[in-house]
Amino acid sequence: MRKAIALTLMVIFIGAGSLLMGGEKLTGLDIMKKVYYRPSPKDMTAELVMTLINSNGDKRVRKIRQYIKDYGKVEKKIMFFIAPADVRNTSFMNWSYDDPNKDDDQWIYLPALKKIKRISSEDKSDYFMGSDFTYDDLGNRLPEEDNHKIIREEKLNGEDCYVIENTPKDPDYMYSKTITWVVKGKWIGIKRKFYDEDGEFLKELTAEKYENIKGYWILARVKMHNVQKDHTTVMELKNIKVDTGIPDRMFTERMMKRGVR
Amino acid sequence: MKRIIALFALLILAAGLAAEGVQITGYVRNYTGVLLHGDYDFSIVQNTLNLNFELKSDKVAFKVNPYVYQYFDRDNVFDMREAYLDLYFNSMDIRIGKQQIIWGKADGVFITDIISPKDLTEFLLRDFDEIRMGVTAAKVDYYIGNSTLEVVWVPVFSPNKMAEEGSIWHPVMELPSNTIFDFSKKDVAFNLKNSEIFAKFSTLTGPVDFEIMAGYTWDADPTLFTEKKIDPVSHQLLSMIIIPQYDRLTVFGGSFSTTIKGFVLRGEAAYYVGKYFQTTDPTVPFGVTEKNYLHYLIGLDYTLWGAKVSAQFIQKIIFDYAPMLTMPEHHNMMTVLVSKQYLNDTLTVEFFSYIGITDGDALIRPKITYSFADGFDIQVGANIFTGSKGMFGRFHDNDMVYTKLRYSF
Repeated sequence: MRKAIALTLMVIFIGAGSLLMGGEKLTGLDIMKKVYYRPSPKDMTAELVMTLINSNGDKRVRKIRQYIKDYGKVEKKIMFFIAPADVRNTSFMNWSYDDPNKDDDQWIYLPALKKIKRISSEDKSDYFMGSDFTYDDLGNRLPEEDNHKIIREEKLNGEDCYVIENTPKDPDYMYSKTITWVVKGKWIGIKRKFYDEDGEFLKELTAEKYENIKGYWILARVKMHNVQKDHTTVMELKNIKVDTGIPDRMFTERMMKRGVR
Repeated sequence: MKRIIALFALLILAAGLAAEGVQITGYVRNYTGVLLHGDYDFSIVQNTLNLNFELKSDKVAFKVNPYVYQYFDRDNVFDMREAYLDLYFNSMDIRIGKQQIIWGKADGVFITDIISPKDLTEFLLRDFDEIRMGVTAAKVDYYIGNSTLEVVWVPVFSPNKMAEEGSIWHPVMELPSNTIFDFSKKDVAFNLKNSEIFAKFSTLTGPVDFEIMAGYTWDADPTLFTEKKIDPVSHQLLSMIIIPQYDRLTVFGGSFSTTIKGFVLRGEAAYYVGKYFQTTDPTVPFGVTEKNYLHYLIGLDYTLWGAKVSAQFIQKIIFDYAPMLTMPEHHNMMTVLVSKQYLNDTLTVEFFSYIGITDGDALIRPKITYSFADGFDIQVGANIFTGSKGMFGRFHDNDMVYTKLRYSF
C-alpha cells in the first residue's frame, strides 16, 4: 500500500520507486511516481516538534508524539499532544483508507471533557494546527491528479535534481501550480514552490534535513515559509523509529484515553 | 486560615513531588463577569488555581487534582476534583478513587452522562470539566479488541450541587408564606444498600461508534414531596411542608456516532424508570407522581468553510402522561455551535446557544478567545438569557459579559 503518512513528512514531496527500467528516458509523471512509490516503513514512531514563527519572530512550539502503522487497506495514526500546556493529554486518532471514495475516520480525546469524540474530516485546504501546511500538503496527492513537466535539471545543495512543474488537472484546486526539486536516485523532493489560485507565489517548502533510516529516505526537518503572510513553520521529527512492530492495541480508545508517559 | 495553610502545604508538596518525577500541570485563571442590568453588579470575580499531579508507568498511575476558587464576596473553595489510582493489566484497567466519569456522545446535554453529579452553583456557565464533580468510585474496564466493557460501582451517593439562597443562580420558587421545609429525609445513608452501579459496553470502529448502558442510581435532584394542611371548615391552606427526598432511578440507554459524507451524525437516548414529577392535581398524595420518561438527542457536526458547525435536537417525553404535571409531556430543545479559528489558530470566534423550543427561551453564549502566547489565553464573552420562563428564561435578569485570563502550565 502506498498511503501518504500525514505529518511524517515522508510524502510531502511525492516521488517514485522502481517502476521503470534504467536507461529509459523519464517523464515528469515517471519521476513523481518514483517519489510517490518510494519504499516506506510498515510503521513509524517519532516526536514531531512544530515551531510556528510569525513576522515579528515570535515563536510558538507544538510537540506531539505519534505512532503510525500501515495495515494495507488502512493506515492508522495516533497522536498524543505534549505541548503547549493547554492541549497536553489531548490525543487524536486517524484511520485513512486506500479507497479514494472513503473519508478518513477521525477521533479526538479532550481530557477536559474526558470523552472521545468522532470528528468530521478536515477540509484538505484547511491549515493543520495553525501551521503553514494544509492537510493536503501533508497528505497523499496522487501523481495522476496533476500534469507534470520537467523544466530543467540542476544542482541544489550539492544534489542532482530534476525540477518538475506540477499543474493540477482540477482547475479549482487551491494551488495553480507547484514546482518541485526531486533528487535523482533518492527520489525525494527537497524543495517545493507553491503558487496560489491567482498564480502568485505563495509559499516555499525546503527540506533542511533528510536521512536514510533502515533503507527509507525520510525528511526529518522541513521549513515552510508563506511569503504572502511572512509566516514560517518548521516541522522536525525526532527519535524516529521504523518497523518496530507497533502493537495493534496502540490504535484504540484505551490508548487515546490513557495517553503516553 | 486552615485553608491557606493547606494551600501552602500543597505547594511545598508540589515542589517535592516534581523532584520525584510526578508531572505537575495546571492553570491560573481570573474570571470576572458583570451583569448587564441594574447597577452593573459584578456577577463573579473569581481567581482560580487548578493543579494536576500525575504519575504514569506501564502498570500503575495516579492523579490528584486539587483546586482553589478565591472570591471577594463569598467563601473561598478549596477542594479535590479528582484523586485516583490506576492499575493496568493486559486486558483490563481498574481506577479507584474520586473521579469524573463521562459517558455519551452529547455536547452540553446530560442524557446517559449521569454518573458524575453536576455543580450548578453557576447554572451551566462553568466549563464542563468544572461542572462535573468527581465521585468516589471503583471503575473496571475490560477490553476486547476495539470494544470495552465498563462497570462502575459508586458506594457513596453525591447529589447535584445547586446555588444557595442569595445567589443569582438560585432558582426562585413561588411558595406560600407559610411554607416549611423539612430536610429530615434528605440524606441518603452511607451503606452498601444505597450504592449505585452502572455498566456500559462501547465499541469504536471505522463505520460507527456506539455505547449501550444501564444504571441503578439515585435521582441527582431531590423530589419535593409536599404535605398541605387545609382548614376543614374554610378550606384555606393552613401550611405547606416540603420534604425533599432523593429517590432511586433505573436507567437504560445508549449512544452512537457515525460519519456520512463528511457529516458526523450523533445520537443518544436514555429511558428513565421511576422518576417523580411535580403535579398540581390536589388529589395526588404529596404532590408528586411517578412516571417513566425518554430523553434523547440527535446531532449533526460539519466543517463548513473552515468553521465547525454543530446542531443538536433534544427531546424529553413523559410516558403515561397526566394532564396536571408541571412538566410538559414533550419538552423540546436545540443547541447550535459555530466555531472558527483565525490568525494561525491564535484567535477563536465561537457562538453557542441553547434554544428552548417548548418554553421559547434561550441562552446565547458568544465568545472570542485570543492566544496571546503559548499557554496564555484571553477570553471575552457574553451570556444572554432570552424569554421569561423555562430553564433559561427564568434567569433573564442575569445577562452578563465576562473576561477570562488563563495561563496554563
